[in-house]
Amino acid sequence: MKMIQVENLQHTFLIGKKGKEKQVPVLKGVNFEVKKGEIVAIVGKSGSGKSTLLQILAGFMKSEQGSIKVNGKEAANFTEVESAAFRLQHFGFIFQNFQLMPGLTASENIELPLKLQGIKKAMRTEKVKILMDKVGLTEVADHYPNELSGGQQQRVSIARALITNPPILLADEPTGSLDSETEQDILLLIQSLNRELGLTFVIITHDEEVATIAHRRFRMYDGELVKEEA
Amino acid sequence: MLFKDQIDFVTQHIKKNKLRVFMTVLAATMGCAFLIVLASVGFGLQDSIRNEILSDENITKIQVFGNDQFTEEQIHEIKSIEHVKTVLETITVNASGHSFFEGRDTLSDVYVANMQDFEQVNGKLAKGKYPTKPKEIVVGYHFAQTLINDAERKIIEEKSKKAEAEGTFYNGSEEGYKDSLIGKEIELVLMPHSDGAEEGEKIKYTIVGVMKKPSYDWMVNNSIYMNTEQKPTLATNLAATGNVKEDDMFHSEFNIFADSMENVKPILDKLKDDGYNVYSVTEKLDQMNVFFLVLKIGLIFVGTIAVLIASIGIFNTMTMAVTERTREIGVLKAIGASPKLIQRLFLMESTFIGVIGTLIAVVISYIISFVANAALPVILEAATGEEAFSKSDITFSLIPWQLVIIAAAISVGVAMISGYRPARKATKIDVIQALRQEL
Repeated sequence: MKMIQVENLQHTFLIGKKGKEKQVPVLKGVNFEVKKGEIVAIVGKSGSGKSTLLQILAGFMKSEQGSIKVNGKEAANFTEVESAAFRLQHFGFIFQNFQLMPGLTASENIELPLKLQGIKKAMRTEKVKILMDKVGLTEVADHYPNELSGGQQQRVSIARALITNPPILLADEPTGSLDSETEQDILLLIQSLNRELGLTFVIITHDEEVATIAHRRFRMYDGELVKEEA
Repeated sequence: MLFKDQIDFVTQHIKKNKLRVFMTVLAATMGCAFLIVLASVGFGLQDSIRNEILSDENITKIQVFGNDQFTEEQIHEIKSIEHVKTVLETITVNASGHSFFEGRDTLSDVYVANMQDFEQVNGKLAKGKYPTKPKEIVVGYHFAQTLINDAERKIIEEKSKKAEAEGTFYNGSEEGYKDSLIGKEIELVLMPHSDGAEEGEKIKYTIVGVMKKPSYDWMVNNSIYMNTEQKPTLATNLAATGNVKEDDMFHSEFNIFADSMENVKPILDKLKDDGYNVYSVTEKLDQMNVFFLVLKIGLIFVGTIAVLIASIGIFNTMTMAVTERTREIGVLKAIGASPKLIQRLFLMESTFIGVIGTLIAVVISYIISFVANAALPVILEAATGEEAFSKSDITFSLIPWQLVIIAAAISVGVAMISGYRPARKATKIDVIQALRQEL
């Protein structure tokens, strides 16, 4: 079953002073698909267009041309409001620098998407407790992000992405801010979540090591996506 | 997001920036309190003047101008108009009444009226009852006080001289007859105003009632009121004094009374349509209300400028809040918060500032108003040496609930409007840019 299907995705950036802008194509007709339960890695150097691809996929910006089907639904033409609602239901995000709320504790950070969904306090607490247990964060539940190690922060970030049970997780350089030992921990966690819960992962990375856990691998090169053997 | 969670979210942010929010609330409070206190002066003055007018004259009274005497038929016709309580004919006797009682005497005006109508209009007496038998009379509240003998006359003269030397005035309230006059018999002599007329025969009357105290301290009422049955007796008495024409003996004044203040206007309109020359104090009130409406709008307008100045503070605070939280807003949007929710959260924060500011302002305004009403008369008296300020019931500041509603609507409205742009800015934050911000 296809979770994500991207066809002929094109995007151009305008760079330079107003009136003298230069058109720089970043995505030149990208095609790829992700099946349910797969880990797909998109690797590429900086400036290759892989981040732009993720941002368009997530609905943070709109592509100029092309189609994006997520879970069978055309997502390329969503309005901002539709896109936000869609994200809340279908995607979990794992960011390079964790993007936790500094004023909230670990458990409150994880709880946040459930709050946005309008779920009641009792149910939220229950869900957060179970998930924290699963990703090994119970002991630091009441710690603030600045009191956690990088690995713990990324675990909180992953738990926050998982809490709404989204079918797809989008990870942007998930180990970019971690040392190699912690990186391995996080990669193992992703692998086990994929195996146990059948979650679909799309990982954007420049780190070939990270890409090793992927079932399939694509290489982004100068705005074009090429399939590679895993 | 549940409403309770939204409130939690907002209060969490407010707690984080206590001092900044406090200063903004303070500015909002000052603006709103200034608006309320300023406008309260308009409300207070209107109230004072309104009370002055209402206590001065009977508000349900419709005066009839002109010298026309109403016929029985006309009186009947007017009485049949809806909400007309009564038509009172008050006959002024064109002579002074010189009353004698136990070696004391006084001069007063004499009025004749239908005592049933008279009772309906004047209501309860201070003492006694209205006359039911011939030769019974009601006297004004100060009648006993003005009944003095020669010894007292001298004392009053001395006290008056002394008061005059001190620059004040003595009204003779310490002298006069001290016991109750109810049931007492006086002798009345009419003294025509016309030249060459002599004093009439003495007529005996029994005092059965004393009128209410006049609404003003300076008013002295020592008049005598008797039933219309006495008119022929008085006429005969006056005729005997000579030199008084029959036409000049009495003068009638007609007043129409409505059953309540609200019904004065329709009656007035009806009477004017019927060609009567009538006037009511409520017309004066109408004109005054228009004047004060304009004044109050002007004061509220000036006060609103203070609120607008405070709103600049709210705008700044909210813009700062949005800028500071750009990354957080970005994360919220990334994980699926709708732009509408983000806008609402920031609008709630600015509304909170407006609401708290208004609540405190209302409390402070009531305190200022109370203190002003208590202290200003004393201060003015000390400054000007006039006792009038402390004695009269001038309301310097009055805050009716309508003013609170208007001020609250303006303050909260302005707070929301000034929070709107920052809130819109928050929704426009670019997720990608926001996530790139350093921690």
